[in-house]
Amino acid sequence: MSDKMTEAEFEAAFAKATELSDYFREIGPEHDRKNTFAKSTITKFKKSGLGALNVPKEYGGMGADILQTSKIVSELSRGDSAITLAYNMHYIMVGITMGLMSDVQNKEWLGRVAAGDIMFGPFSEQRAGFSGLADMTAVPQPEGGWRLYGKKVWGTLCEAANIVTTNATITDADGNLPDTFEERVEKESFFIANFKVDSKGQGDGIRIEKTWDALGMHATGTQTIHFEGFYVPEDGFICEWRSGAFGVLEWASLMFASIYLGMQYRVLEEARAVLSKKTLGATFGAIAAAETKVSNVGHIVDGIGDMASRVELSRRVVYRTCQELIDGYDDNWPVELRFPYIGLAKTFTAENVMHMTKRAMSLVGGSSFKKGAIFERLYRDSAASMFQPLNADQSCTYIGEQLLAPEELND
Amino acid sequence: MSTFKDADEIYAYIGKAMEACVVEPAFVEATKDGSLVVKILQTGPDATILVDFPGQKVLCGDAAEAAPSTVQLRMSSDNANRFWQGKLNFTLAMAQRKVKLEGKRSTALGLLPLTGPIFDAYKAILTEAGRDDLVLS
Repeated sequence: MSDKMTEAEFEAAFAKATELSDYFREIGPEHDRKNTFAKSTITKFKKSGLGALNVPKEYGGMGADILQTSKIVSELSRGDSAITLAYNMHYIMVGITMGLMSDVQNKEWLGRVAAGDIMFGPFSEQRAGFSGLADMTAVPQPEGGWRLYGKKVWGTLCEAANIVTTNATITDADGNLPDTFEERVEKESFFIANFKVDSKGQGDGIRIEKTWDALGMHATGTQTIHFEGFYVPEDGFICEWRSGAFGVLEWASLMFASIYLGMQYRVLEEARAVLSKKTLGATFGAIAAAETKVSNVGHIVDGIGDMASRVELSRRVVYRTCQELIDGYDDNWPVELRFPYIGLAKTFTAENVMHMTKRAMSLVGGSSFKKGAIFERLYRDSAASMFQPLNADQSCTYIGEQLLAPEELND
Repeated sequence: MSTFKDADEIYAYIGKAMEACVVEPAFVEATKDGSLVVKILQTGPDATILVDFPGQKVLCGDAAEAAPSTVQLRMSSDNANRFWQGKLNFTLAMAQRKVKLEGKRSTALGLLPLTGPIFDAYKAILTEAGRDDLVLS
């Protein structure tokens, strides 16, 4: 048996993704309207087996690489980007943890994922998001292990998860954070633990507070997670967080890119469906004609062509970036620029999808602006692409700083 | 003022620690089939050390400068003293431009988790040489 996912295995997984994507498409509007996580998807997601997609075969998974995972995520997102963005959290955390955990930990936790468990990872501090060094504390316990205190925002997928991963700063026995910035970096650590809450979101030392109320991506169930003495045993320590994350964050960046690539597929599909059939009858405005069929109108023809071009360019950028990582080409990039260079696929896709959702509304006309219209939802949902790390501004800052830095090193 | 008097001191202490490094079993296992040759370029005082992992040899000074490498690691000599005692967080140091890594980075970064025994070896070399002033608490 090959260690890697074969073409035939990929095709079978893709077919399952298409089936699940159709279900997401069917129920997505309701969860957008009600601002609720689509709980009915949990059983279907588990049943599909796609939770084990990027788990290596040696731990019981399907062994998909980052490109194969990207294609599946985009296919799911084509059905409903918000629901897929929730499950995307699972793929991100599986990708990140498998590169950082010990073999013993991989056997345990990825083995559980292969058997159907779902993983999520709230990392963001309210004051500074993902960039913020963890204010959440991990207080060492006399019996070993740590108790976590603090809260994390952006807890996507918490309502479906069985496993939690997070970052917290290890303190002294009294719970005091390290005094210096350098020590805080050293002590910020990456943990993994069981996650079990009741129907009200209350667990042992951990709880979900339902705070999700945003412009778009309603069905993600992105809630706030409170850690109130949540116990993590010693074997739940994975590694020092920032040093570890440095080499594996492509799983976050490229999976987000895949979400918005899938959304681009959907925008083009919906725009074509409407604009290929729409007629305006007699018009006297920008066009004066007895019968105006929009598919014959120049700027609409151009608009669809422009959208299709953007989809194809995004597809090539995302796929090529995944392939370059698989081939180890990233070894040729300056090490400081690896993460922002990988992130370019996400920022490029984000810019394209936001442009496309706006353009689609403009081409379709006022009906697209009404609540319940697919274009209105895609427009709102696409705005989320501005925020996941790295965003376009952060990428440019990273790159510009490196390119303008003096030759001399700091001491 | 630098903690090191001159390049010879650096070769005597850090160079010697690197000699222990290339025969350390964990490093030998991790690098035996690769081409990892690290050129450490230090400033203040200036010094060059070449660590040839597959060849299990260390060159210093002019010989190191003339030899080809696959990875170049630049830092001040004071930061090198901190780094080889486990007192310099590599990722943070890169972000703060205290350390510059050039060339094929993946194998070099993969070795970072293995550096623990080298820290002990380096500190033992300093202590043995009576240079407790260089040992960081």
